[in-house]
Amino acid sequence: MKPLFPVILVCASLLSGCATTNQRVLDLGDETQLQKRSYQSRIFETADKEKVLRAIISTLQDLGFVIDRADFMLGSISATKQDRNQIRITVSVRPKGSDRMLVRANAQLNISPIEDPKQYQDFFSSLEKSLFLTAHAGE
Amino acid sequence: MREKYGILPTIRPDSKVRNLATLLIALLLAGCVTTPPDIFVVTSELQQKRQIETRRYEGINEADLITACANVLQDLGFNLENSETKLGVITASKERDATHGGEIAGAIVVGILTTLVGAPIIIPTGRDQTIRVALVVRPVIDSNGKAMTDNHFVRVTFQRLVRRTDNTVFGETLNDPKLYQDFFEKVSKSVFLEAQKI
Repeated sequence: MKPLFPVILVCASLLSGCATTNQRVLDLGDETQLQKRSYQSRIFETADKEKVLRAIISTLQDLGFVIDRADFMLGSISATKQDRNQIRITVSVRPKGSDRMLVRANAQLNISPIEDPKQYQDFFSSLEKSLFLTAHAGE
Repeated sequence: MREKYGILPTIRPDSKVRNLATLLIALLLAGCVTTPPDIFVVTSELQQKRQIETRRYEGINEADLITACANVLQDLGFNLENSETKLGVITASKERDATHGGEIAGAIVVGILTTLVGAPIIIPTGRDQTIRVALVVRPVIDSNGKAMTDNHFVRVTFQRLVRRTDNTVFGETLNDPKLYQDFFEKVSKSVFLEAQKI
C-alpha cells in the first residue's frame, strides 16, 4: 500500500494540473478585471493619438522589441522581444473624453501572463520619458 | 523530548513519504510561477543599441523614405508582413536555411567523444530560421517640439527564430553593428534612387 501513495499523489496532481482550459482561455487569476485594468492602464493629457502611438513604438524599440503589428484606426501596437525569454506585448490607445488618451498594455512572458504591476509601472515610466508627459492612474 | 517541545520535526517511519509529498507539491507549485526579469527598463546597453539601429535621413519626405525602405527589404528577399504607413511602421520576414558548418562539426565531435565514453549525447543543431525585421520611420523633433520637414529617423531591428533538428526553437535579436551598417548603406542607396525617381 505504501509505495502506491506517491504514485496516487503524482497522478492526482497531474490531473488537477495548474488550471483548466477554461481558466487558461479566460486567464482567470486571483485579481478582478478591474484590478487588472487599473495597473495595465494610464491616462495621458494629450488629444494627439498619432503622437502617443509613435511614442509607444519608439519606447518599445528602445526596450529591444520588434514591432509585429500597428494599426492607427484601432490604436494598437503589438511587439515581441527575443532575449532568452520571449516577451509579447500589445499596447492600445483610445481617446478618453476630448483631451485625454487612455493607454493600456498587456504582456506575456513565454507562456504566462505578466501580472506584476511593477513591470507595467516600468513600461509606463519609460513611455512618460518618451512622451514628455506624466501618466495618470485611473480608469 | 522532541515531541514534547515541538521545536524540531518529529521523526516517524512515514517521514520519507511526507518529504516526498512536500517536494512534489513544491515542484508543482513552482511550475506555475516564473520570475520575470526587468523587461521594461531602458538600460545603457539598450541605449547603445538605439545608436546602432538608427540613422537620420534628410531631404526626403516620409512617404518616399518609407517606400525606399520597403524596396530595400524586398531587395534583401523579405516578404512584407504588416505595415501602417500612418505610423511609419513596416514589418517583414523571410524563411531561410540555418545549417552552420561549424555548429554541425562541433555536434559530431561531441557525439563521437561521448559515444566512446559510452554515454552518447546528441546536440541539436540549427535547421531553418525565420528572420524578422521591424522598420520604423519617425520625424525628427526640433527643440520646440515640432516635427521637422523632410528630416526623419529610420530605426530597424532584426530578430531570428531558429528551429533546431530536435524541433526546439530559440529566438534572438541580432546585434552585430556591421549588419546594421550594411543595411543602412543599402537604404542610403535606395533613398538616392528614390530621389532621382529611377
